[in-house]
Amino acid sequence: MSEELITQVKQLIIDSLRIEGMDPGEIETDAPLFGEGLGLDSIDALQLVVAMEKDFGVVVPDAETGAVVFQSVRSMAQYIAENRK
Amino acid sequence: MNCFMFPGQPLFTDAHSPDDSDLLEVAKLTRERTGLDILDSFWQGQPAGESVTLQVYGAAMSLCHARRLARDGVKPGLIAEHSMGIYAALAVSGSIAEGDALELTCRIGRVMEEMSGHGAYALGCMVGLPLEPLLSIAENNGVHLANHNTSRHFLLSGGRAGIETAVVEALASGAFSAKVFPCDAPLHTPLMATVEAGLREVIADFRYGEPAVPLMNHIDQDWLTASEVADFLLRELLLPVHWDATYRALRAVGASRFFEVGAGDALKKYNRWIDSEAARSA
Repeated sequence: MSEELITQVKQLIIDSLRIEGMDPGEIETDAPLFGEGLGLDSIDALQLVVAMEKDFGVVVPDAETGAVVFQSVRSMAQYIAENRK
Repeated sequence: MNCFMFPGQPLFTDAHSPDDSDLLEVAKLTRERTGLDILDSFWQGQPAGESVTLQVYGAAMSLCHARRLARDGVKPGLIAEHSMGIYAALAVSGSIAEGDALELTCRIGRVMEEMSGHGAYALGCMVGLPLEPLLSIAENNGVHLANHNTSRHFLLSGGRAGIETAVVEALASGAFSAKVFPCDAPLHTPLMATVEAGLREVIADFRYGEPAVPLMNHIDQDWLTASEVADFLLRELLLPVHWDATYRALRAVGASRFFEVGAGDALKKYNRWIDSEAARSA
């Protein structure tokens, strides 16, 4: 998994969630996305699901998969690397 | 054009700076008119449960936020409201005084709280399924659609057992997220008719002036007039919130900058979803 993909995922988060004034470098790769980390919620997660499908052609099929995928930027990038077409 | 959006009941209270003069003034007014100290969630006099605490806290936070915006010179061209955000929205529109909005919120909340003595109710927050299967799930489990927030974000309301089975069915049907939140009353459903007399009595104790800023209602996206407010305050507790349609209507009449005036940022996130969906289908 490349650093380039990690940066792309961070940019996807910023763009799809319209986080103003944040640079990809400010998002920690291994920090939790929910709760203490970026403080995302299920509304944000669904937005990320759509963005991942649009940008990478990767589908998050259900809540169980989502819980694994959206643990951190790294887990998102890992899932994309393993599943993109 | 600026649009001030007033959210409904928050899910939790936040910590606040003790140096915030707006907060201290609104906290004092809230204590005087409701008995709740929003700084420590303590009730002076007759106590109330968590739902009423959060409802009053939510209204107080909205009033506090509106004061800050006014001080910063940000004025609304339009006002919109979601669920119990209506009371603070009425105050900021000039239809009622701030103190009346707080008291109204508290008294409505206390009437709804009476329902918890006669049944167990809950809300089901559903994310990911479209409307049609969600409506089938609601019907299958004897519960009601309470919020239509976007094409994929809904709230069901009703008896707790029905909501719990609806959540299980929604997840099995592919919902991205489905969660149960206990509540005092089945808000935004016909079941609220049980306490209609008490709600009417509270609503009739206040006088409603003409909103000085156009205030769009979330039921049919019309502008509320003074003569319609009392009726709307009852109807909105028995009918679903249509935020998706409201946001689109606000956009259509020229709203371009949206300020979520109160606790949380759920409405901004719903708007983001609606905008992104429009962009995808364009």
